[in-house]
Amino acid sequence: MSGNFWQSSHHQQWLLDKQDLIRERQHDLSILAEDEYQKIFIFFASVIQTLGEQLKLRQQVIATATVYFKRFYARNSLKTIDPLLLAPTCIFLASKVEEFGVISNSRLITTCQNVIKNKFSYAYTQEFPYRTNHILECEFYLLENLDCCLIVYQPYRPLLQLVQDLGHEEQLLTLAWRIVNDSLRTDVCLLYPPYQIAIGCLQIACVILQKDHKSWFAELNVDIEKIQEIARYIINLFELWKTYDEKKEIQGLLGKMPKPKAAPQR
Amino acid sequence: MSTAYMMDYEFKMKTQNERVKVEDLFDYEGCKVGRGTYGHVYKGRRKDGSDSKDYALKQIEGTGLSMSACREIALLRELKHPNVINLIRVFLSHNDRKVWLLFDFAEHDLWHIIKFHRAAKANKKPVLVPKGMVKSLLYQILDGIHYLHSNWVLHRDLKPANILVMGEGPERGRVKIADMGFARLFNAPLKPLADLDPVVVTFWYRAPELLLGARHYTKAIDIWAIGCIFAELLTSEPIFHCRQEDIKTSNPYHHDQLDRIFNVMGFPHEKDWEDIKKMPEHPTLLKDFKKNNYVNCSLVKYMDRHKIKPDSKAFHLLQKLLLMDPNKRITSEQAMQDPYFQEEPLPTQDVFAGCPIPYPKREFLTDDDQEEKSDNKRQTQQQQQTQNNQQSQQQNQQNNQNNQQSNQDNHNTAKRVRLSAPQGHPSQVNQQQIPISQQQQEFHHQQMMYNNGQQQQQNFQQRF
Ligand SMILES: Nc1ncnc2c1ncn2[C@@H]1O[C@H](COP(=O)(O)OP(=O)(O)OP(=O)(O)O)[C@@H](O)[C@H]1O
Ligand SMILES: [Mg+2]
Repeated sequence: MSGNFWQSSHHQQWLLDKQDLIRERQHDLSILAEDEYQKIFIFFASVIQTLGEQLKLRQQVIATATVYFKRFYARNSLKTIDPLLLAPTCIFLASKVEEFGVISNSRLITTCQNVIKNKFSYAYTQEFPYRTNHILECEFYLLENLDCCLIVYQPYRPLLQLVQDLGHEEQLLTLAWRIVNDSLRTDVCLLYPPYQIAIGCLQIACVILQKDHKSWFAELNVDIEKIQEIARYIINLFELWKTYDEKKEIQGLLGKMPKPKAAPQR
Repeated sequence: MSTAYMMDYEFKMKTQNERVKVEDLFDYEGCKVGRGTYGHVYKGRRKDGSDSKDYALKQIEGTGLSMSACREIALLRELKHPNVINLIRVFLSHNDRKVWLLFDFAEHDLWHIIKFHRAAKANKKPVLVPKGMVKSLLYQILDGIHYLHSNWVLHRDLKPANILVMGEGPERGRVKIADMGFARLFNAPLKPLADLDPVVVTFWYRAPELLLGARHYTKAIDIWAIGCIFAELLTSEPIFHCRQEDIKTSNPYHHDQLDRIFNVMGFPHEKDWEDIKKMPEHPTLLKDFKKNNYVNCSLVKYMDRHKIKPDSKAFHLLQKLLLMDPNKRITSEQAMQDPYFQEEPLPTQDVFAGCPIPYPKREFLTDDDQEEKSDNKRQTQQQQQTQNNQQSQQQNQQNNQNNQQSNQDNHNTAKRVRLSAPQGHPSQVNQQQIPISQQQQEFHHQQMMYNNGQQQQQNFQQRF
């Protein structure tokens, strides 16, 4: 499905309003500061990325999984479902939708166990606690909350076209591509259409590489203001990264995060 | 960590209470109308009587979300075209982990329609249908496929059973392309398709390049299948009918099917299909087949035997759809511009052109077939029956027609009996047109309605 973005569920249902987003997060933001909330999502985006890489998934599949994850929590508090369970569930669902194939249950669980133990021990001291039945149950909740909107448009394809139009520059593409990956650690995928995100990322890449393509950008006929907003989100992320040491802070943040509660005991 | 903490209790209870169950909303018990490889299809009515429309409820085979279920949901959720079946809603049944899809009910499909014509032909009782019906059917199939193709979606399983036609009602006589379970995005192939699902298109509708080991599906493969369906509509015979023994094989090469195609079309000349040399199974082809065996075969002769004149516009279009070289095959867009569609009678939106519909309504399947639930069993049976047919066919070539008839009858092995409609299904006469306003009210009752944005906006405007 890469035909018409304008008629897609992505465009019609899942380009959210900034104010809505703030409203939905009210509960979580009464417990976490805004930057703490973002740091938690940066962390889980990395978890999804690492899981995906271990499972040898394409970046497109990883990005789709990350968007599912963000869409779910755009409508639900972090306390509804443990993000450590939702993250692999998103990977599991995205790999089927993007036709990577069904990841075998045991392989998924083993990969989760290994990744948590070997790459994220600074965040989790205990073993990955979930099993296949948890993922499968969670998957139904995920699908419901996504309202069955599974096709996600990503900035990668428009980015390729833009760079080609610019006269293919390998270095520029590589950097812009990485910035698109980074953009998954911000809210832009919930707020802006993918081709705008692609332009925003490309613009940042041009600035970093000191390439002057101003006249080319000017001819693009896009809403410059939106592009600036996107760039702002990403630059803020870069600023945050300068002073943020995830290894030191994340355990505390995960501890502070609102968590699912069990049935009330009588 | 105990399981209790994976999900918030309050959240779980809240969603559980809000979740609408398919069995609470619809009456469908005992109303199974179809069984495919990937699911059971029921005819259902709303329990609350808020409308008296028929719905099709497809219970996906197995439990949970298989890849084909995911694809079907993901694609149908996005697609919106008058000639593509409309997914109204998805039900997830958490207890038994069943997935249900709710569609508009289509009273007819081309498999049943063609079967009806064959039976009539065998009994020498002609069926009265509007002159342009085949043309209208073809036009709408092309329209739907053009929409899919321009959205970079391939169907990959086009065959008469998957082409539905709406019965009496607001969409009377409209084609609905269904069964997108295998439909696949093809703009960025992640894996060669042959690795994903070895058997896809029923062999009869399989393009020659697939049979010769083509690694990727293309739009042209769907077009070939449409050509096959067109020929079958014109003659009431599956044009590339062939016994199907190794249905389970993952090897795309299929000697008998190729032989059948060459018997109809003639053996492809190199000048007609230059790239045939590049096909993975080309060496096998050279080894197994002798050009000379097919010198007297051609589509002209085949269709002429079935009373379709080689100088007719229908034949000319058919020939372009059934070109052996996939690169030369016509596209859906070009086909829709063909002179065939500009010639009287012009295609109509209601393929029955307002005339009475001569075909019987769908019958309910008995529960007998519950025993043979496993697909393997069903397929083996089907194969055996096809083989039997083939044998008798060989025994008595002249009786060919009748044999093919019974072969088609056996395509679905389940016994068919007409049952009286259960409660909640007031007899099927009650099919008058539902006024638009009522339909729109209808939308308000549904929670997970999939409309296009305009309709959604309308709903919101009306609601708030
Ligand atoms: N919307 C509908 N209205 C009425 N009948 C339908 C509808 N959808 C499907 N059917 C009937 O049920 C049968 C099986 O449905 P469908 O083709 O969607 O399932 P499948 O298991 O994917 O099939 P296949 O074996 O062809 O892959 C169809 O051939 C048709 O007879
Ligand atoms: Mg089918």
